[in-house]
Amino acid sequence: MGILKPLVSAGLLLAMQGVRAGDFEIAIDMRAVNSDGRKSLLENGEGKLRYDADHDGVQLGRLRAAWDQPIGDVFAVHAEASVWDDDDKNPIDLTEAFVEYRPYPRAGFRSRVRLGAFYPPMSLESRALGWETPYTITPSAISTWIGEEVRTIGLEGQVDWLGTRLGHDFDFQFTGAVFGWNDPAGTQLAAHGFAFHDRQTTLFGRVGDYQSNPILAKKELFCEMDHRPGYYVGAQARYLDRAVLNVLHYDNRADPTVFEASIRDFAWLTKFDAAALRYETGNGWTVLVQELDGQTTIAPGGMLLDWKYDSQSALVAKRLGAHMLAARYDLFEVTFLDNPSLPGSEDGHAWTLAYSWDRGDHWRLAAEWLRVTSDVKSRSAWLGEPSLAIESKVEISARYVFNGSF
Amino acid sequence: MPCPAHFVARRALGLAATLLCAAAGHAGMLEVKALQRDGKPLVGAVITASAENPALPPATPIKAIMDQVNLAFEPDVLVLPVKSSVQFPNSDVVRHQVYSFSSPHRFQLPLYRGKPYPPILFDQPGVITLGCNIHDNMLAYIVVTDAPYFGRTDSAGSWAAPAMPSGRYRVRVWHPLASEPADVEQVVQVGADRDVVQIRLTRGLKPAPLKGRPHSWEY
Repeated sequence: MGILKPLVSAGLLLAMQGVRAGDFEIAIDMRAVNSDGRKSLLENGEGKLRYDADHDGVQLGRLRAAWDQPIGDVFAVHAEASVWDDDDKNPIDLTEAFVEYRPYPRAGFRSRVRLGAFYPPMSLESRALGWETPYTITPSAISTWIGEEVRTIGLEGQVDWLGTRLGHDFDFQFTGAVFGWNDPAGTQLAAHGFAFHDRQTTLFGRVGDYQSNPILAKKELFCEMDHRPGYYVGAQARYLDRAVLNVLHYDNRADPTVFEASIRDFAWLTKFDAAALRYETGNGWTVLVQELDGQTTIAPGGMLLDWKYDSQSALVAKRLGAHMLAARYDLFEVTFLDNPSLPGSEDGHAWTLAYSWDRGDHWRLAAEWLRVTSDVKSRSAWLGEPSLAIESKVEISARYVFNGSF
Repeated sequence: MPCPAHFVARRALGLAATLLCAAAGHAGMLEVKALQRDGKPLVGAVITASAENPALPPATPIKAIMDQVNLAFEPDVLVLPVKSSVQFPNSDVVRHQVYSFSSPHRFQLPLYRGKPYPPILFDQPGVITLGCNIHDNMLAYIVVTDAPYFGRTDSAGSWAAPAMPSGRYRVRVWHPLASEPADVEQVVQVGADRDVVQIRLTRGLKPAPLKGRPHSWEY
């Protein structure tokens, strides 16, 4: 995280020179929850949901403040801070903070460079402000995992060919990045598998509650341990404003033999391939399919331990004016390759049904039913519970967004 | 009873007026009906009628506005005579960065709320595609024409020119969703009779930009 603080400070300093007016956005999202979920992974349990049976009732979903500050015409600082009102380290923390260089397009090509902390471009679902999904309250298993464990803290370059601005039907985009400070990515997949929650891990925080068991990892994800940068490369093709196909190959190039005592965790060598396709029709239908396939490895004492994971998701949504209905099906699987019957292996599926209503520019009301069926080996191994669990919840969300320029 | 001399004079005047009118050619009537490939009306098409013989100067330049409202350009198509100027006021609370890399007029214009910028002069004919460097789903067109007569088709796909001099005109049809391999045009002889020129696209239209999707969603 060493790079981030000076970067953000520099951004703030530049911004305070009063170069240009910045844009801000503040959003409060309140929830009413009824859940029969097992003790949540955020409470160091083996449940798949953000709110377990002990967290019924009214909750703060997220209080979010975003700030976009231009520096001259082609540079801008963007920062996202959130309050989640749970047991994380910090009461308020950043999920993203970066400086962006975005020169004007020339002859159909545009380049873009981001430096700081941000999400890799892979989720066609998390397209709303604050890396949220507009279709449901809870994102897919794939997006949940990215929000939980993956963040680019580094440098990303992107080149767009803006064909639609030249009279063609397609745009293309190519992305590449080098990053550090994400060596623990994978630790949560091996520990509790995939999950379904909108609780993005903050840059200086951890995944949920403090882990008091001294032999278990502290669940702090954004840490550089082996001084080996990771990379990803991706491509995107867009057909008019209707269809988007996105592919990404990610490799954090962690040295799996490295152990970092301060966070009680290994460097997890994590690689994955992700693909997503979204198609929208003129009469309000959206179809979105996603696939993630990867492997994560640690080598305590030189002994390689490998987990394979994959998830697929299919969503269908229909907009009717300001109203939207969405249905999603998720499949997920983690396999501890050395012994699939040992903790670390799981498989499951989930159904999500959601309704949302954008009431004017500021209000969004949503309701969601979610049911996860999962067979998690660590439930029986660690907790003595049946490994199979069916968890469901009903959640209502009321969000108010306030934005402006200063 | 009219005096014969007066009568002759009146007739002569009338004849002269007719001749004058014919010489100036203010007798032409032109109506264009634009059709899609399947025969449905082509609504909102830009029609330009350039005088080939006799040559006529472009229409008088105008001052126009291309606003940004709720993360969209308003209007989506502007048609202007050459040497017209366009103001970009930005009615949104957020900033925009309008750009064009179309050959008739390349420009870039950062727009902050409450900070007016001088209008942009468009002195070359052609189609200019506008985008916003921050909001990729913003798209609009400015059609700059040196034709003396131009307009957009109505809901029936029709456009009627005002009274125009008789002569030979090149009538062009342009539409943001057309994907024709070449210019869609027809040369017509405009006379005193009302001519209805029918121009039909040879290829289907591209799907229209999606409507109703919240503009804050990422592209």
